[in-house]
Amino acid sequence: MLYEFKIDGKTVEVTLAKSDDVWTLSGNNASILSDGRIRLVSKDGAIFFAHSAKVRDTWWVHIGGHTFCIDHVEPGAAEEDNGSGLSAPMPGKVLQVLVEVGQVVEPGQPLMILEAMKMEHRIVAPQEGIVSVIHFKEGDQVQQGIALLEMSL
Amino acid sequence: MSTVLVANRGEIACRILRACNEAGYSSIAIYAANDADSLFVELATTSVKLEGESIAETYLNQKQILEIATKYGADAIHPGFGFLSERAGFAQAVIDLGISWIGPSPRAIEMMGDKMTARITMKAAGVPVIPGEEIEQEDEHEALMAIKDASRRVGFPLLLKASSGGGGKGMRVVNSPEELDDAVNGARREAIAAFGDGRVYVERLLSGSKHVEIQILADKQGRVIHLGERECSVQRRHQKVFEEAPCPTMTPELRERMGKAAILAAQAVDYEGAGTVEFLLASNGEFFFLEMNTRIQVEHPVTEMVTGVDIVREQLRIAEGEPMSCGELNMRGHSIEVRLYAEDAANNFLPAIGPLVVFKPPEGPGVRLDTGVRQGDEVTPNYDPMLAKLVVWAPTRNEALQRMRRALEDFVVLGTTTNIRFLRELCDQEDVVNGTTDTTLIDRVWPDGWSPEISNSLTEAALMIAGISEGSGKHRKSNVGTESTDNGPMSPFSTLSRRFP
Repeated sequence: MLYEFKIDGKTVEVTLAKSDDVWTLSGNNASILSDGRIRLVSKDGAIFFAHSAKVRDTWWVHIGGHTFCIDHVEPGAAEEDNGSGLSAPMPGKVLQVLVEVGQVVEPGQPLMILEAMKMEHRIVAPQEGIVSVIHFKEGDQVQQGIALLEMSL
Repeated sequence: MSTVLVANRGEIACRILRACNEAGYSSIAIYAANDADSLFVELATTSVKLEGESIAETYLNQKQILEIATKYGADAIHPGFGFLSERAGFAQAVIDLGISWIGPSPRAIEMMGDKMTARITMKAAGVPVIPGEEIEQEDEHEALMAIKDASRRVGFPLLLKASSGGGGKGMRVVNSPEELDDAVNGARREAIAAFGDGRVYVERLLSGSKHVEIQILADKQGRVIHLGERECSVQRRHQKVFEEAPCPTMTPELRERMGKAAILAAQAVDYEGAGTVEFLLASNGEFFFLEMNTRIQVEHPVTEMVTGVDIVREQLRIAEGEPMSCGELNMRGHSIEVRLYAEDAANNFLPAIGPLVVFKPPEGPGVRLDTGVRQGDEVTPNYDPMLAKLVVWAPTRNEALQRMRRALEDFVVLGTTTNIRFLRELCDQEDVVNGTTDTTLIDRVWPDGWSPEISNSLTEAALMIAGISEGSGKHRKSNVGTESTDNGPMSPFSTLSRRFP
């Protein structure tokens, strides 16, 4: 069985074999326990009890004291374009907009100030460019990951 | 005293409500609409919904809270930490209604709450303060001029602090004169937003020092004692993440001197109840007063673990007018607390939100969890992103660290990004292992930010788990995507063929 995942921005293909209730992948063996956890024996003999849960398209996996976020790529799904938009790193409120459309900005120049949990966070220009669109004004609430402004290079 | 209203939410509300239940008091929880399903609401004898949406309209709404207290017959109010806990005006209003205020007098709150006044009071009481200058000017421009003047005398790097500040809000490190204008404006803006008071003062930045604080208890009979120290040097963005008791470099002689200074500080404001006197401890053993927190503190559990004192229970006892029940200070073993935040440690510790699809805390001897959330809850941007405090106790510091590492590896949180792995790797840092932590540790060890160390083979295993989970259709077996244990067909009675008589 072939699955396509995205982890840390990289697309990875995972090919699993299954016989009876045991799944195998390059020397690792695993089986699903009755409580939903997965017992994995690695090729070097280490035993892990992993937890997993899916939120929207993302599998959250806890194994060996680490937590992974692994996006499942549905077959045929189109690549989303992040382009040159600057997105909100956290949910919060726009405290200040420091630039105007058409303004030339330098790398590191603050563009917007966000506030969440009473802490301020600056959105800075990643490179030189011209501000082409500003999506929000002062006082607006923004969700995490939403595009705040756009720049043309 | 028979009915205690807890004017707080989340983890600390749970801590206090449980103490009330144990002590045999009736309890009242107050909650905003978005907290209706929160754990603390379940723990109270009576729960009353607050009208309004914003924090100002709910947990900070003194009038509404006092009306509830009167209507439901509260004869004491415990403010917890944050929110109204250090508002002298609220404490006074509570007292004026004939209700016990579980905390120090409004005067003590006021004198310690205004950081500039506290500095002046401490200097007068003979408690050493950090070299720096108070800025009296209220006008924005005049204040900036005065800060510029003061900065030349204090020298760089320096620290700007909001006089009404706390929790790292309204605080800025300034490394050079060029940064000063921006930093003052930013600190003022943050301070006005958080406290409604933009006054900022200047202190020398004592880098390389330890943050060591002394827990104080004072009863109405006039007895003032200290419960030893906690070290809370490891901080990110001026917020503590790793706390321990005792301080690994403490000596009995230094504890004696710092304890005496803390008692002096408490006595200078006729302190009553539980409080914490924070100091910076330089490597040469010199210590300076930072501030006094006139309330229960987030990290109080580590003191409870090593002294055997239930600090919240003592607060209730003292408010009742009874003498505190503590004997001679007797510290035993070592305790460490870490703060679990919903935040992305690999992305500048930005707050995260999401569902707690799986929330499975560690278990075992010497492990304590103080939390206000449980599996199935949603982490929202409405409140502080602290999810839980994980506390361990062991006979020695080394064993406590080993236990903390194990507990953090066992802690499973899925659905929301947390700092668990960051905390786990923190426990391996040389300075943490050696007990030579100072307030610059995180910036020093990870100057370009932290990212987890993960082996390729573990990533491969994780991908395999994701593949199996997807391939087995695990997420389709239950409608919310939780593990099948949580709502699956796991009752032994449905699978056993044997009949029970």
